[in-house]
Amino acid sequence: MCRWYMLASGLLLASQLSACVEHTQPDTLFQLTPESAANRAMQTRLFETKDERELLSASAAVLQDLGFQVEESVREVGFLRAAKERSAREHGQDLSRFFIWLFSTPLVFLQQPPLIMPVDIHQKIAATLVARPLNAESTRQEIRIVFYRVVWKGDGMAGRQQIAPGEQRMEMVRDPGLYQQFFAKLSKAVFLEAFTL
Amino acid sequence: MKLHVIRGIVVFAGAFLLHGCAAPQPSQDLLAPTDAQMKIRSVQTRTFDVKDRQTAMRAVIAALQDLGFIIERANEPLGLVTAARFAEPNYYDVVGVTVTVRQESDERMMIRANAIYNNKPIEDPKVYQNFFATLERSLFVTRP
Repeated sequence: MCRWYMLASGLLLASQLSACVEHTQPDTLFQLTPESAANRAMQTRLFETKDERELLSASAAVLQDLGFQVEESVREVGFLRAAKERSAREHGQDLSRFFIWLFSTPLVFLQQPPLIMPVDIHQKIAATLVARPLNAESTRQEIRIVFYRVVWKGDGMAGRQQIAPGEQRMEMVRDPGLYQQFFAKLSKAVFLEAFTL
Repeated sequence: MKLHVIRGIVVFAGAFLLHGCAAPQPSQDLLAPTDAQMKIRSVQTRTFDVKDRQTAMRAVIAALQDLGFIIERANEPLGLVTAARFAEPNYYDVVGVTVTVRQESDERMMIRANAIYNNKPIEDPKVYQNFFATLERSLFVTRP
């Protein structure tokens, strides 16, 4: 009986740690992948206008409408970076935390505290936006925006080991809905139609 | 006789322990450029036939975005672009890159990229070849 619990908790820990072992080869990171083109298409829209500055300030306004704070801007290269911080609590995670705790309570018989899984607590959603002219007369502009988020985890407990809060995780936002929403608002703001690539 | 040997061993061990205490003298060529440095610099640098620095910078930004990098900072007067990405799907590893764009002559632009992988500089020439290949494509598209 004892052994089974040890085995189960060992397996659980091993599954948590398995991601730590493999490392990505850096030389593959500077190569275009088949997904690059699809991501580019999702993140980019074209506007038939000469006014890059107007497009940039309208983008900043739209980001503000979406609750972002503009953190950095460089007009000469048409660059904007904005971020917002929100709670990352999800009921699903809280539920699984509870059930893992519940099912691991028999560990008490081994004089081990039950497992407490760390859950996502806080997140920062950030966007970087670049506007650039596409032709020599700059009558056509391209807007490319990339959304990503950083998630901070809370504390937990595995065996007698306390898991400190603050573990970070980053991910790109790949949901086309968010990009469509942004570009819909932007084209409304500049009274222009947004063309896809 | 025996005492003699032990004393010898003690002296030797003492000398051995103290060995690390002597401060190493800084050599004259501590900051001198090494061959490896020159080599890595030549791998990281490439010149392009572009007249305008802004055009080159925009192409650099577009290339980095194509490669999935997040642009963190850009400084037009200095020609600096800093970007980072995490090595998907493995978000523990981070790749950072700083690109500087400098005017070499009226017709040419010198572009240098420095990449780090988890706070360790990348010295693999292949990485930089890949980057400059993407940049070339991007420059070709951007160039009016």
